[in-house]
Amino acid sequence: MKSKKIAALALALTMITSIGAGCGTNSGSTASTTSSDSSAQQSTAASTTAADSEKVTLKVLAGQSTTDAGTEDMIDKALAKKYPNITLEWECVDWGKDFQPKMQQYMQSGLPDIMIGKAQDVATYGSKGLLGDMTGKPYLDNVLDAAKPGVTIGGKTYGIVYNALYQGVYYNRKIFADNNIAIPKTQDELKAVIEKLKSLKITPFATHFLDTWSIGNITMQFAINDVFNKTPDWGDKFRKGEVSFSTSPEYRKAYEYNKLIYDNTWKNETFSLEQTECDARLVKGKAAMKVSGSWSIQNFLDVDENADFGIFPFPNQTGDSKLIFEPNITFMKSANSPNQDAIDKVFEVVTSDKDLALEIFNFTKTASMIKGVTPTFKNPSQKDIDKYVADGKIVDANTGNTQLVWGGFQEENAKDIAAWLQGKIKIENVLKLSDSRKANSKP
Amino acid sequence: MKRRSRSSIMTAQYVSLVLPGMIIFTIALIIPMFLAFRYSLTSWNGMTPEKPFVGLENYKKLFTDANAKDAWIFTIKFTILNTVIQNVLALFFAVILDSGIKLQKLYRTILFIPCLISAIVAGFIWMKMYSNILPAINDFLGTKINFLLFGSQETVLPGLVIANNWQWIGYWMLIYLAALQSIPVDLYESAKVDGASAIRKFINITLPMLAPAMTICIVGITTGSLKVYDLMVSSTGGGPGRASTSIIYSIYTTAISGRQYGYGSAMSISLVAALLVVAVIQLKVLRKREVQL
Repeated sequence: MKSKKIAALALALTMITSIGAGCGTNSGSTASTTSSDSSAQQSTAASTTAADSEKVTLKVLAGQSTTDAGTEDMIDKALAKKYPNITLEWECVDWGKDFQPKMQQYMQSGLPDIMIGKAQDVATYGSKGLLGDMTGKPYLDNVLDAAKPGVTIGGKTYGIVYNALYQGVYYNRKIFADNNIAIPKTQDELKAVIEKLKSLKITPFATHFLDTWSIGNITMQFAINDVFNKTPDWGDKFRKGEVSFSTSPEYRKAYEYNKLIYDNTWKNETFSLEQTECDARLVKGKAAMKVSGSWSIQNFLDVDENADFGIFPFPNQTGDSKLIFEPNITFMKSANSPNQDAIDKVFEVVTSDKDLALEIFNFTKTASMIKGVTPTFKNPSQKDIDKYVADGKIVDANTGNTQLVWGGFQEENAKDIAAWLQGKIKIENVLKLSDSRKANSKP
Repeated sequence: MKRRSRSSIMTAQYVSLVLPGMIIFTIALIIPMFLAFRYSLTSWNGMTPEKPFVGLENYKKLFTDANAKDAWIFTIKFTILNTVIQNVLALFFAVILDSGIKLQKLYRTILFIPCLISAIVAGFIWMKMYSNILPAINDFLGTKINFLLFGSQETVLPGLVIANNWQWIGYWMLIYLAALQSIPVDLYESAKVDGASAIRKFINITLPMLAPAMTICIVGITTGSLKVYDLMVSSTGGGPGRASTSIIYSIYTTAISGRQYGYGSAMSISLVAALLVVAVIQLKVLRKREVQL
C-alpha cells in the first residue's frame, strides 16, 4: 500500500515538473542559440591543432532535392583524399518536407556542425544567429560573386552557394520544330501556341499536381516575373498591410496562370501523377511543355539520353519575363560548433576540388557557382540558358523566396490553389486565405 | 517478521519488474503529453527560445479554424467507414476460414501478409496501383473504369479506405478467428437439436460469444483510424488540396511546416481528449454486450 502511494506521488511530481520544464529550456536555449564571435574564435583556436592530427567527426544535415541523393558519397571520397582524419556523419533528408522540421528539432538539442540546404535558408536561420560567419574565409574566393548577395546578411556571408537551377518552361524541341511553333514571349502568343498544340492533339502542358509543391513552385515562378520583379519588397509591404493578395491584380493573375495550365493538361490524371511519370511523358512527346526547373533534366535524360529540350521564361503580362535562376545546394555551418577549423577544411575541399565539383554538377545536372568549373553534361537547354544570360534576362528566385517563406505559407497557399482548381472554392477565397496567413509568411 | 520480509521481497521484485516500463512510459508518453499541454498555452513557433503565453487562445481558435474542422470531418468519415467495413469483412473471412474449407492456411497467410508491410509502403503500393497498374487493365480489357481514385477530391476517401482495409483486414480477421475457435461446440450442438437454422445459430450464439473480440476490434480499428497519418504521407500527401488531410496530418503540417507549435500542440491535446472519450464510450457500451461464461 505504501509503495503504491510512493509510486503515485512520484508520477504526480513528474507530471507537475514536466509542465515547468519549458521554463528551464527558455534560458538554456537562449544561451545555446545566440551566436558569439568570441566563443567561436576560442573554439577555433582550441581545435586548430586538434583538427590537424586528431580524428574529427562532423555531423552533417543535408536537405536534398531529388537530384542530390548520392552527392554525399562524392564529397566523402574527395575529403578522404585530402583530410583522412575528418569524417562526415551524414543525415540526408528531403529538403521540401523534412529539412525545416529537422532544423527545428536541432535548434532545441544542438545544431549539426554543417548544414546543407538552399540559399533561402540563410535568411531564415542566419537572422536567428544560428549560422557561422564565413566572411573573409579563403574558400569564399572560389565561389562566383553573383552567388554571394543572396547568402549575405548585414555584410556577413553565412553560406556557400554551390550550384544553381534554372526554372522556366521546358519544351520538347522536336514538337516545336516539327510544327513551326515559335517561342512565345507574351500571353497572347502563349495562348496561340496552346491552341495550335490542341489542334494537333498534343497536350500543351505536362503537370504532376499530385506533388503540391509543384503548384507552389510554378506559382512563385509566375509571381517573380509579375510581382517581385516590379516590387522586390512586396513581401515586406504585405506584412505591413500596404498590399494584399486580394487587392493585387498581379498576384491574382499569377494564381490564375495555374488555371490556364490546368485547363490545358491531363486534368483527370494530374492529381494522381508523379514527377517521374510526368517528365517521361514530355520526353516521349505526349506533352509539349512543362513549367519546371533543372531538377527535371535528370529525369528527361534518364528516359532518353538523346532527348532534345529547351527552356524559355513563362510569358508574363508585360512581355518582359526573365528566366529564373535559383541558387541551390548551399553549405552553412553552425555558429557554435567546436569544430570550426575542421568545418573550414571541408569547405575548402568542396570549393577547391574541381574534379569533385564537376562530378557533382554533372550528376545533378545543374549550373556551377564555383569559379573555373563548367559542367560537361549534355544539357540541350544550355544554349537557351546562355542566350538569356547573355541578354541579361535572368532573375534570382530568391527575390521571391526570401520575401515569402515556403513552409507554412507558399505550401499552404498551393493547397488552396489545388482545391480551387478542382472547383471546391473560389479564387477570391483562395486569395483571402493567402492574406489570412500573413503572420506565417516571414522567412 | 518472516512474513514482513517475504512481503518486502515481493514488493521489491514487483517494483523492479514494473520500474523499467514505468520509466519508459513516463518519459515517452506522460512527460511529452504534459509538455504539449504547456506549449498549447503559448504561441511558440517551435524555433525561437521565447514561448509567449496566450492562455486558451489556441483552443478558441480550434472552433474557428476551417482547415482543422475539415481535417476532423475527413478523419471521422474515414474512421466510420473503416470500422464498419473492416469489422464486417474480417468477421466474414474468419467465418469462412473457420468453416473447414480447403487451403485455409494459405488463405489465412495471404490475407495476413499485408499487415506485415508498413503503412508507408502500403500507401506507395496503392498510389502505383491507382495511377499505373489498374488503369493498364482498362487498356487491356478496353474498359473505361476510373481507377484514378487519388486524383479527385470526391474519390480520394474511398481510395484510402480501400488501401487501409486491404492492409488491416487480415489482422482483425485473426482475432475473430481465434474467438470463433474458442466458442464451445456443444452450444451449436444444443441449438441443432433444438432445430435452429444456421442463421439463427449465427445470430443467437456466434455474435454474442464474439462480443469481447468485437470490443477489441471496434476499439482498435476506431482508435487506429483516428490516428491515421503515414498512409497519407506516401500516397496523397493530404491532397488533392486538403481533401485527404487527416487530423494528425494537419497537426504535423501546422506545428512543423507551419511553425505554429503552440497551436499544433492544442490540436494534439484535443485529439488525445477525443480519443479518450471515444474509447471510454465504446468500452462502456460494448462491455455491456459481452457474455461471460
